[in-house]
Amino acid sequence: MAVLKDLLEFIGIEGERLNLVWVSSAEGPRFAKEITAFTEKIRALGPLNWNYQWAVPNSELRAAAK
Amino acid sequence: MYDSIKERVKELLSTGEINGFLALKNENGHIKPHLYVSPDEIDQLSIGDGEIAGDTRYPLAKILTVLLQNHSGERFGILVRGCDQRALKALTAWNQIDSERVVSIGVACSEERAQACACALPYPDEWLEGEQVEPKDPRPVEWEEKSPQQRLQFWRAEFEKCIKCYGCRNICPMCFCKECSLESEDVVTKGEIPPDLPMFHLVRALHMIGRCVDCGLCEEACPASIPLRALYKKVNNIVETRFQFRSGIDQTEQSPLHKIVEPPAAI
Repeated sequence: MAVLKDLLEFIGIEGERLNLVWVSSAEGPRFAKEITAFTEKIRALGPLNWNYQWAVPNSELRAAAK
Repeated sequence: MYDSIKERVKELLSTGEINGFLALKNENGHIKPHLYVSPDEIDQLSIGDGEIAGDTRYPLAKILTVLLQNHSGERFGILVRGCDQRALKALTAWNQIDSERVVSIGVACSEERAQACACALPYPDEWLEGEQVEPKDPRPVEWEEKSPQQRLQFWRAEFEKCIKCYGCRNICPMCFCKECSLESEDVVTKGEIPPDLPMFHLVRALHMIGRCVDCGLCEEACPASIPLRALYKKVNNIVETRFQFRSGIDQTEQSPLHKIVEPPAAI
């Protein structure tokens, strides 16, 4: 989880879009609360625009990757 | 050339200390991996000092893993550069190689080679040929200055070039799994190019945790020139920062995935 969050940040996806919570099957209200809170968080972040048609690769960033 | 290596290998082979020596051979102007089994062949040995990295290195550690599995009880020698040795150590830590059955003979890389590979550790622990050159390790620090939007745009465009040839996985000395998640239909849809973005590349990146020895063969092999090494370097950086672990340095130390560790602060 820790590594994946950092990695998502690296490729430009907000780490908050990933969440892991352990909820027992006896904790219905808590489950609802967690999901609602997470849904609200994602809604506030807005769409990821992953499928937006991007321009050609940024040559400057490409040079930095070398 | 490389007389000290050839002498040593001849000695090992003729005394029967090893059953074969895995190294490179120059044939028709190209290098290829070759298992030397007779002392007479050794004169053909090449350490592959080609202009381009593809004519210098080969995932020998990966071939050795298969050899050791298929020839139980036999011992093998192997020609190692810094990267090969890191791979051997990491494979030992992951229980893929029995280090008792392996004799490594080291080569330190030339300065040109080390620079061309941007290698952080261009020499093994011991070597018979070559000299120790100062490592250069340009870690992707500039990345932190770019905005998330720029990074997303960049990686999206890079990943999209992927033709799903599996070259990165096939050449990777640390990809030893018999069943690969990248072939699981739950993760990667069959018959689609580019593969599921960014799942395909992130799955591979996550599986490099505690494995990647930063040899750079994946990026060399990639026909679409995706800067895979920058991605896996980042993984290594994260693992080093969060768990103080570097793969391929100590063969007795297991990866953080195998240990119960204190959870890092602020997940």
